[in-house]
Amino acid sequence: MLVVEGLTKKYGKLTAVDNLSFTVKEESIFGFVGPNGAGKTTTMKILATLLAPTSGRAWIAGEEVTGNPGRVRQLTGYMPDFFGVYDDLKVGEYLDFYGASYGIPAGRRKRIVNDLLELVDLAHKREDYVDSLSRGMKQRLCLARSLVHDPALLILDEPASGLDPRARFEMRELLKELQAMGKTIIISSHILPELAGMCTHVGIIEAGRLVVSGTVEEVTHQVRAGRMLEIRVLDRAVEAEALLKTQCGLIEVKVNGDLLEAPFTGDDVNLSNILTTLVGAGIPVVSFSESKSNLEDIFMQVTKGVVQ
Amino acid sequence: MRGIILNPVLGKEFRSRMRTWKSPLVISIYLGVLSLITLGYYWTRQGPITYTGFGPEVGPQMYVMLAVFQLLLVSFVTPAFTAGVISGERERQTLDLLVCTRLSATSIVLSKLLASVSYILLLVVASLPVFGAVYFFGGVRLSEIGQVFVVYLMTALTFGAVGVFCSTVFKRTQVSVVITYIIVFFFLIGTAAVAVFMASISMRSGSYPSTPFIAYLNPVVALFSTFPGQLGQGLFLREFQFIFGGPVPVGVPPGSGGAALPSVGLQPWQYNFIGDAVIIVVLLGISIQLITPVGRFSWVKRIRHRKRMPVTVEIGTADARERHAD
Repeated sequence: MLVVEGLTKKYGKLTAVDNLSFTVKEESIFGFVGPNGAGKTTTMKILATLLAPTSGRAWIAGEEVTGNPGRVRQLTGYMPDFFGVYDDLKVGEYLDFYGASYGIPAGRRKRIVNDLLELVDLAHKREDYVDSLSRGMKQRLCLARSLVHDPALLILDEPASGLDPRARFEMRELLKELQAMGKTIIISSHILPELAGMCTHVGIIEAGRLVVSGTVEEVTHQVRAGRMLEIRVLDRAVEAEALLKTQCGLIEVKVNGDLLEAPFTGDDVNLSNILTTLVGAGIPVVSFSESKSNLEDIFMQVTKGVVQ
Repeated sequence: MRGIILNPVLGKEFRSRMRTWKSPLVISIYLGVLSLITLGYYWTRQGPITYTGFGPEVGPQMYVMLAVFQLLLVSFVTPAFTAGVISGERERQTLDLLVCTRLSATSIVLSKLLASVSYILLLVVASLPVFGAVYFFGGVRLSEIGQVFVVYLMTALTFGAVGVFCSTVFKRTQVSVVITYIIVFFFLIGTAAVAVFMASISMRSGSYPSTPFIAYLNPVVALFSTFPGQLGQGLFLREFQFIFGGPVPVGVPPGSGGAALPSVGLQPWQYNFIGDAVIIVVLLGISIQLITPVGRFSWVKRIRHRKRMPVTVEIGTADARERHAD
């Protein structure tokens, strides 16, 4: 669906995006992660045909972004991180206006507007002025606006920023529904646990460069080169640490009170042996588990806090 | 062209402008000011001629006064309506959303200009009853009023284009409005001042003062050149003729104040329209290019290098196209 090849954007001496290359498959949700100033918004604006790259190319469904912006706009729905609304328009009029701007005939627009308002749960607000909506409702309305022309690719820049937990949950459910409807989604967010639960693919960007990308599992594997073992004991943590250090597959052991954490490269047989050894030595083990992949940990691990 | 005229931006602008109480208020104030000027003039003329009635020059003079005053009002109002059309979208953070639709930059810019100028024309049309009072006194033909209204249209379009251009160049509306007013002020006063200066230099050098072209950019000059010769005498037609030469007071009989000056072929209002047309095309052209984020001068780029997508990607692309078409 999306191919980015050597994309670079420079503002004078500042390089906002530096030789960025990645691909996004159809019907996937690609989480674009990075610290502030990493180049996420710049990349998304280039893909939405709102910025011309200094060099490099990008194709959306085969159409080159800079070569055929009109066609690309038809294929993409863009939701910026900060956006305004026309406060003198009603909710229905707002969507109708954008529908007309995408060249949808008046006869079809009414049905599309109704469907979209149902989708984002704003049908009851149809006759209200846009300005009277809450932030969460405006975010949903803007998402509906980006869908008005039925694009194949959604480019969503921080769609959940500033939303309360319930509104974030609703937004997440909405995006999953859109994915189920066959949309490909690129989404940037700072709320990493949310992305981890939603995205099929992740790209971590820092200082304009893509540090790592792939499926969440691939990225986890690339970064950690193994699994993380978490063992909680009732007491005798120091003794347990000494015992663990003698075990095969454990690289180093960190003790944090009653919790022992250790990166583990062995197989399940080794894992079973470790537990047997601990219990056999009389260590009071409360829990013995493998920690789930945590995008936040990965993010902290691969980024260095470099900001352009 | 139909797409440009009947596009959603134009419809939205009309709806937004006419939806609030501001529009009727602006029209009321505008007509109120024009009516007060007309009544004021009527009262000043009425005092000394209570028993003898009005002279034949009263109607034409009232017409000239109204026409000039309305031109100044149009010049004053136009920047207020146009100097924020693009910068306002930028400040509201709606410009990106508009640009990434299928609407072309040309369509957006022209719609914004047409919406603003249409509203100004509404003000001008609404003033027709005030102009109707001139008929009460006689001395002015409908075609002459029509000509004056064309000058208003060109002036509104020109100053509107200046406003749109400034709102595209400057990010903040306040700055755009100020700069637009400065430029409009230059058109109204600056061109006249420069023309006088150039004419005086020309006279000092002993040669006959010819009309500097910059004078024709002044809408007041264009307006005066549409008045029949006998109109406005005693106001400032002769002064204008002295400054600008040429056939400014069209139809002034020989010997009555400068009609002996050589004709320059086209009328000043015709020169003015040509100058205005050039300004409008250039400023709108630049504005369109400035708000086109990607694909500026795309036809040049297309000729220079035809880029192809990597073959491996093209395979997936065909599928994607089919899927999207479905």
